[in-house]
Amino acid sequence: MSKSTVSKPSVAVHKFSSCDGCQLAFINMGEPLLALSQLVEIKYFAEAGPLDDKGHVDIAIIEGSVSTSKDEVRLQKIRNNCTHLMTIGACATSGGIQALRNMANTKEWIADIYANPSVIDNLDNSTPIKDHVKVDLELWGCPINKHQILTAIRALLFGVLPVEDSDKVCMECKRQQTVCVMVTKNEPCMGPVTRTGCGALCPHVGRDCFGCYGPAENPNTHALANRLQGLGLVKDEVARRFLFINSGAEPFHQEAQHWKK
Amino acid sequence: MPNETIKIKVPVLARVEGEGALDLTIENKQITDLKLRIYEPPRYFEKFLEGRNHYDVLDTVARICGICPVAYQMTATHAIESIFGVTINPWIRAMRRLFYCGEWLQSHSLHIHLLAAPDFLKFNSAIEMATQYPDEVRRGLKLQALGNDLVVLFGARSVHPVGAKIGGFSKAPNKKTVDALLQRVTGAKQDAIDLIQWLDALDLPDDQQDFTSVALHHDNEYPFNEGRIISDDGLDITIAEFEKHFKEMQVDHSTALHCLLDGKPYLVGPLARLNLNKDQLPKEVQQLMQGLKAQFPSKNMFHSIIARAIEIYFTLIEAEKILSHYEVTDQACMRFETKAGTGYGCTEAPRGILWHRYDTDEKGCITKAIIVPPTSQNQPRIEEDLKNSLINFGLANTKEDLQLHAEKVIRNYDPCISCATHFLDLTLVRDGINESTKHQSTAAPCFKHVNLSKAAIIGIGSPIKGDELGWHAIDVLQKNKSIQKLKDKGLDLFKLDRPGILLSESIKDYDHVIIIDAMKTADQENNFVWLDIAKLKSVSNVYSSHQLGVAESLQWIKTVTLLPKDIALFAIAEIGHKNLVKNILQCLIA
Repeated sequence: MSKSTVSKPSVAVHKFSSCDGCQLAFINMGEPLLALSQLVEIKYFAEAGPLDDKGHVDIAIIEGSVSTSKDEVRLQKIRNNCTHLMTIGACATSGGIQALRNMANTKEWIADIYANPSVIDNLDNSTPIKDHVKVDLELWGCPINKHQILTAIRALLFGVLPVEDSDKVCMECKRQQTVCVMVTKNEPCMGPVTRTGCGALCPHVGRDCFGCYGPAENPNTHALANRLQGLGLVKDEVARRFLFINSGAEPFHQEAQHWKK
Repeated sequence: MPNETIKIKVPVLARVEGEGALDLTIENKQITDLKLRIYEPPRYFEKFLEGRNHYDVLDTVARICGICPVAYQMTATHAIESIFGVTINPWIRAMRRLFYCGEWLQSHSLHIHLLAAPDFLKFNSAIEMATQYPDEVRRGLKLQALGNDLVVLFGARSVHPVGAKIGGFSKAPNKKTVDALLQRVTGAKQDAIDLIQWLDALDLPDDQQDFTSVALHHDNEYPFNEGRIISDDGLDITIAEFEKHFKEMQVDHSTALHCLLDGKPYLVGPLARLNLNKDQLPKEVQQLMQGLKAQFPSKNMFHSIIARAIEIYFTLIEAEKILSHYEVTDQACMRFETKAGTGYGCTEAPRGILWHRYDTDEKGCITKAIIVPPTSQNQPRIEEDLKNSLINFGLANTKEDLQLHAEKVIRNYDPCISCATHFLDLTLVRDGINESTKHQSTAAPCFKHVNLSKAAIIGIGSPIKGDELGWHAIDVLQKNKSIQKLKDKGLDLFKLDRPGILLSESIKDYDHVIIIDAMKTADQENNFVWLDIAKLKSVSNVYSSHQLGVAESLQWIKTVTLLPKDIALFAIAEIGHKNLVKNILQCLIA
C-alpha cells in the first residue's frame, strides 16, 4: 500500500472594509509566522502576497465589514468555498467603527466629501459578516492580537472549537491587580460590560476602557449607563460611550437608544 | 508589430491605503491608459468625529490606518492642543518623538524587508529571499519587533495604541522597562549600519526624474511633530497655510482624493524628507552617508529604500538619546481647559506629511474635521512616475517585465503594506503535531553557568480551583530563605495567568527559565515531574489543564528558536514543599 500523504490544512485571509490592523496580527507576529506557515498552507492573503482564491479552504478568515454592493457576492463565494469561517476584529464581527454611519444619512456624507458622488459605490450601512452568511467563530477586538489568532488556529488544528473568552475586562483587571480607574479616578470605564482578551490594556495604563473588544457575556449595560450618568456624563455622552468602536453590537446599540437625544 | 496593444490589469494591488488595482494600456508603444485605481470603500472618519468630544478623537483617528496609528494620533493631538492653548513640557515633547521613532522603525523595517528588497534581489518573496539571505531577513524582523516594542512602551499595543491622550500620555513607563529597551536600541545600531551598507551595494535601477519633494522642516532637528512645510521648489509655509497651496480633488478611478500642490503632483515620504532635511541628521548618520554610492538629495525614486534605511539608523540614535536621559515624571499629561477654535496639525508619518484640521466648540466637541493622508498626496506622483519610469524602462519589454517593473515602482512609495507582497509561500510538511514523545524525569536538570540576573522562575496558573498550583509554588518559593538569597542576586519570580503563546514575551529576556505548572495527569509514583523541553521533538497536551498548554507554547516558541539558553518545565500535582525548593535549587545552583 502506498503511504497516504496528509495535506496541510489551508487558510485564506480576506479583507473587506477595514484599516488592515487585524491582518497585522499576522504580519507583526515576527518569527512565529514562519512557524504558522509550517502548520497551515496560506492560499490567499493579499496583504502578505498569496492570491490563490480558487478552490476550497479549511479556514477562511475575514477582516472588515460589508460595505459595497459587490461585497455580498464575494462573501457568498468565500462561504461556499470554505469549511470554517472565522471573523477577526470589530469590523467583521459588529460592523466596526464605520457602522457609525448606519445612524446617519450616508448619501449626504458622500455628497459632502466627493464632487462626483455617483461613482462612489457604498451601501447605506456597514454590517458584520454574520448578517450575510453563517459564521463559525468570531474573534473580537479592535484590533485583535496575535495570541487570539494563534490560539484559535491551534485549537482548530487540534480539531476542537477554540474556547471563547467572553469574560469582562473587570475580571482581567482583578487578576492583574490593576487599580480600578472608575473607582479611584472617576473615569467612564466600559470595562464592566466589555469582553476581555486585550489584557485590560487601558486600565493598566491608567485610563478608561472604551469597549474596543465589544460586549462581554451578559453585560449589565443599563447599570453601567446609570453609573456613567452618575459620574457626570450628559445623556448624549452616555450614548456615545456605547456608540463607538462596536456601535453595531446588539447590547451596545440597544443601550444607546435609551440615552440618545 | 506596428499595432500591438498591451493591456495590463493588476486587479488586486493588495493595499494602497486600502484596496487598489493597476490598469495600464500600451498602444503602438505609447501609454494610452494608466490608472492606479483605488476602490477601498470610504469610511467617513471626518464625519464620525463631528459632534464627538475631544477625548474620543485619538481613539477614532488611530483606526484610519492599522500601520501608522501613531502618526494619526500625534497629528490630531497637536492640532487640538493648539486650539486649547496647551504647551507641552519637554518630557512629553521628547517622549512623543520616541513614540514616533518606534512607528518609523517598525514601518520602515517591514517595508524594506518584506516588500521592497525581494524586488531588487529578484526574489518573489521575503521567504524565498530568506533562503539566501537568512541573516538579513532575521535582522529585519528584529528591527521591526524593536519598533513595535517602542510603540508598546507608551501605547500598550502597537496597533491602535491606547496610551497617548490630548495633553500627553496616560502613564510614564517605569525605568526598568526603559533601560531594557535602551540596551536593545543601542545593540541594534550596528544592524542599521549593516542594513544601509547592504542596500547601498544593491544594483538599484538608475531612474532620474524631475519631481518636487515636500516635507516638514525644523531648524534644529530631523522633523517628526513640528516645523514648517517646505519644498525644493521654494515653498516655505506654516502648517496653517496648507489649504492655500494644497488642494484635494476627486478622480473617478479612486475613492481616495488626489492632492496637488499648486496644481501639480509632488512627493512626500522618506526620500522627500531626506532630500530636504539631510543637514538636520546627527553627525554619525551624515558621516555614514558620505561614503555611500547613493548620494542625497537624490532624484532617483529607487533611492527611497536607502532613505528608509538611513531613517532607521536615525530613529535608533534618536531613541537612544531620549531613552538614556529618561526619568519617570509625575507630569506625563498637561492640564487644560477646552476652548472653541480652529487648529492645525502636521506631522511626518512614515509615508510622509499627514495634515489635520479641526474646529471645536467651547466644550471641546469637534464641529468639523479635515484629514489629508500621505498616500492621497503621493497618488498623482505615483501615476506620473509610472509613466516616466515605464518609458525609461522601455515599452518594448515583455508584458511580464512591464508589470513587474510597474509594481516595483508602486511598491517604492510604500503605499501601505502589501502592494503585492508575497509572504507566505512556504510549503513545509507538518510533522506530527500529536506525536507524544515523552522526555520526563524526576531528577532535576542542572543549568550550567547560571547568571542569576538573567534567570526567572515563572508560576503558571489560573483562578480555577486546582489550577493555582503554579501560583502557590511561587508564593512558597518567595518565602524560602535560600530562594530569597538568589533573588537578592537578581533572580526573578513571577506568576502568569494562562499565557498561551504570550509566554514567549515573558521569557524572551532571560537566559535561564524554570516554569512551574500544574499537572493534570499525575505521574503515578511522584507528585512532580521535570520535562526537558529542549529534547522534545513534539509534545501532547496531557500534562497541562490549560487551553493552550504551556508545553505546546514552549514547543511553538522552540520552533522559532526564541527559547532561552536553559529552560525546564516543572510540573506538579501537589505543592510538596520540600521537593519543590530542593528541586529548584538543584536546577539553578548545581
